[in-house]
Amino acid sequence: MSENIYIFSNGELKRKQNTIYFEVKDGNHKYLPVENIREIHLFGEVILNKDALEFLSQKEIILHFYNYYGYYVGSFYPREHYNSGYILLKQVEHYLDFEKRRYLALKFVEGAISNIITVLSYYRRKGINLESLDKINALYQNLFYQNTIEEIMAIEGKVREIYYSEFNKIIENKEFIMDKRSKKPPENQINALISFGNSLLYSYILSEIYKTHLDPRIGYLHATNFRRFTLNLDIAEIFKPIIVDRVIFYITNKNMLSSRDFEEKLNGIYLKESGRKIFISKIEEKLRTTVFYKKLGKNVSYRRLIRMELYKLEKHLIGDEKYYPLISEW
Amino acid sequence: MYVIMVYDINEERVNKVLKVGRKYLTWVQNSVLEGEITEAKFEKLKIEIKEIINPEEDSVIFYIFRTTKYTEREILGIEKNKKDNMFL
Repeated sequence: MSENIYIFSNGELKRKQNTIYFEVKDGNHKYLPVENIREIHLFGEVILNKDALEFLSQKEIILHFYNYYGYYVGSFYPREHYNSGYILLKQVEHYLDFEKRRYLALKFVEGAISNIITVLSYYRRKGINLESLDKINALYQNLFYQNTIEEIMAIEGKVREIYYSEFNKIIENKEFIMDKRSKKPPENQINALISFGNSLLYSYILSEIYKTHLDPRIGYLHATNFRRFTLNLDIAEIFKPIIVDRVIFYITNKNMLSSRDFEEKLNGIYLKESGRKIFISKIEEKLRTTVFYKKLGKNVSYRRLIRMELYKLEKHLIGDEKYYPLISEW
Repeated sequence: MYVIMVYDINEERVNKVLKVGRKYLTWVQNSVLEGEITEAKFEKLKIEIKEIINPEEDSVIFYIFRTTKYTEREILGIEKNKKDNMFL
């Protein structure tokens, strides 16, 4: 049961007495149990030295950095400890061979759309009129006839557009209105929530990738480039609807957030610290929630499901078992 | 599982026990630490502590809970260390 730590205060993070020590600017301090930390998310202005980084690296703790607006900046990704040249070669092989790459890209989008349908069907059963579900279903059928990665992405884009347009019907609180998806900057509160939630999910998945042999630099749906990790973006597509979006519906419909938890900066709307804390604690709760997983015959948490998705991908790459995305049944 | 660690150690060694305990659990007040821990980590913690203490003089007690569902925590006076340690 390792935990994530979120640092919002300004201060200094050090190694002290073989554990992690955080000293807040106002003089408060706290020892953190190093054996029990999985990752640290830094939102505040934190000072670190090499000694601390060395120690974190040794303990295999990942640091995720966010800027003032809550955007993901980067991670301190300690030296790979599961260094597998074999898997790396296989990953590259599946990227360079177009048919193999297309298969994986298609599966990620298939998972994403299926899970969007699951989420929408739930609200339809609750009596909300979601006529676009049929349109999404039609696009989903079409997906399997697409040849290029761009076409696959285009279908996904269209589905997402229709899906986001239904948010207003699902979110009962009229304080939150979704017009269209806008990023950089998010133009309204729902967009701010989606952006923040997605960036958290990307970093959670990156942390899970770290614990497997996979290399996060090689993604299949998102083209590999010089700039960023892409495999976590691919996997995130599958989990966004069932983790991030569900948490957004939950906290808005339960009135856990109000316009006081947002602020306007740089012509965009961003979550304030109070809002971020509420959102993070709910998303953490979600990750710990367990669901019954038929194939294993036992309950597993959402975080575990992410890891299992990566293991499935590893198996596919080494030719053990074909990869099928997680399609939520609950 | 959830563990509460309470200790009474000779002054010569008390600091060493505290140092080890802090790696695994959260300090709550003098001679008391608590926190969520896996079974394997708990075994590691016990081994590390056994190496330090003198079984003739020192005493360490662990209260072990499978979950904290049925427990409640009440504080009188000051709370020396806030329990909610996910946010800093």
